[in-house]
Amino acid sequence: MPDISTTSKPGYSLVITGAPYVSQAPATAHAFCQTLLETGHKIDLVFLYGDGVHLASALNTPPSDETDWTSRWQALAGEHQITPVVCIASALRRGLLNDEEARRYEKPAANLANGFAIAGLGEWVQAVTSSDRVVYFHGGA
Amino acid sequence: MSDATTKTLLIVIDSPPYGDWRGREALDMAFSLAAFDQPVALLFRGEGVNWLRPGQDGASINQKTVSRNLGAARMFGVSELFADTASLARFGVERPQPEVEPVVADAAFYTRFQEVIQP
Repeated sequence: MPDISTTSKPGYSLVITGAPYVSQAPATAHAFCQTLLETGHKIDLVFLYGDGVHLASALNTPPSDETDWTSRWQALAGEHQITPVVCIASALRRGLLNDEEARRYEKPAANLANGFAIAGLGEWVQAVTSSDRVVYFHGGA
Repeated sequence: MSDATTKTLLIVIDSPPYGDWRGREALDMAFSLAAFDQPVALLFRGEGVNWLRPGQDGASINQKTVSRNLGAARMFGVSELFADTASLARFGVERPQPEVEPVVADAAFYTRFQEVIQP
């Protein structure tokens, strides 16, 4: 049995395209990410795309007996100095804005949760071309 | 780290052009790769072959005619467009655009690519 702490560890990027409370994608990605970090792997990028951007809404308010996946992700990412990146095109069309975009489009509010950043698909392209492994977490359609 | 210069990526579109945004956002991914000079190809399979149906008019449902976006694929640098022959037959798309190459999208086909991304 190889000792996982000394074997070569590939760098991972995770792409989440399924929304919370609609799909299992953010939850499965969270478990996978946590395990990668616990076993000493490097996370190059966590990228939210398509419906996956809903994870980054500060307004998600699940009932108290359900898991708050936005908070869970904020805690995991914060603990490991990871900033999950939200695709700007996916985010804007689904009503997920940071302060800058809210000002730019003259919207009355911003709702990007703390600890998340908004950027373009270029971040994903960079991950696809440089990460050892890119794993996708889709909604079950 | 992988050698970025040798990777050819295949983006698979298997959702229909209307009623679902996944196909459009998959196309955005392909265009984005091309914009950053990454070799990328597109495969339409399953319901995704409806992207190739001629005579689309999205205006009648107040939407963009998305097949026009597809027409720009080569211009944006997408190197090849493929369509699964069984899916074309299943959905009765008899004459896809001439730039689309019909293929049998089986395991042997996928091995031509370094990565297969199904957004």
